[in-house]
Amino acid sequence: MRFLVVDDSSTMRRIIVNTLNKLGYQEVVEAGNGREGIEKVGAGDVDLVITDWNMPEMNGIDFIRALRGIDKMKDKPVLMVTTNAAKDDIVEALRAGVTNYIVKPFTPDTFKEKIDAVLAR
Amino acid sequence: MTDTHDMIAQLAEATTQVFETMVFKKLDQVTPIEGNALRPRSNVVGIVGFGGTISGLVAFYSTMEAAQEIAGSMLGIEPAQVNGDMADAIGEVTNMIAGGFRLRMAERGETLAISIPSVTIGSDFYTRFASDVRRVMCPFRMDEKEVCVELILTRN
Repeated sequence: MRFLVVDDSSTMRRIIVNTLNKLGYQEVVEAGNGREGIEKVGAGDVDLVITDWNMPEMNGIDFIRALRGIDKMKDKPVLMVTTNAAKDDIVEALRAGVTNYIVKPFTPDTFKEKIDAVLAR
Repeated sequence: MTDTHDMIAQLAEATTQVFETMVFKKLDQVTPIEGNALRPRSNVVGIVGFGGTISGLVAFYSTMEAAQEIAGSMLGIEPAQVNGDMADAIGEVTNMIAGGFRLRMAERGETLAISIPSVTIGSDFYTRFASDVRRVMCPFRMDEKEVCVELILTRN
């Protein structure tokens, strides 16, 4: 199982990677924005994408739209981790192709529940 | 428009929630202070702007020592090991506080967009605002240290 974590905050990437490692997932690729994320997807297979929304260069919504245009990523699960949690935000993210949503701040238990839910689809 | 006291209460609630879930620290709130009377002794300031039906800034203040403790706790490392990650961690804390405030305001019918965070690190500096603003400082105790969150509202 190979994860791609896309976030401009190195702190948040580290927290997510640490949490994934504790859950037993060791293979994690990191990117600092959507554009880098697309490059990482082009360089190797990814089974699950975890992305922030607000990022420089290419934000999370544009990243997901670009991701869904890549054949091998059309049906891969994408989790959005963001503070943008108003109803309109969630609708916009789902329309862009997000599979599930984690609102920051989150507990490790919430994170695990969301990962388990998207992997069980 | 949402009552300012309610805004302060929601900002304080968003702050304690961020600290409990992501920083793993319990905060004890001290009475908020309105105006320019209290200027915290801070070396690290995170700022996120917001605009919409209400406009202004959310600012987070801490000493360098407290900021290192916060970053270390978030990253699962000793405070002394925190180097270049401190500014990013404080930016992320400020971002989550402002995001929580935005969500709580949305539940009250306010529509806000928030900026990406900026962080200033240094000493002997003062934050001044060119426009007419209303400021409310919310101090918190974090163990033996103090951190503050300020709500700065532009007067429309």
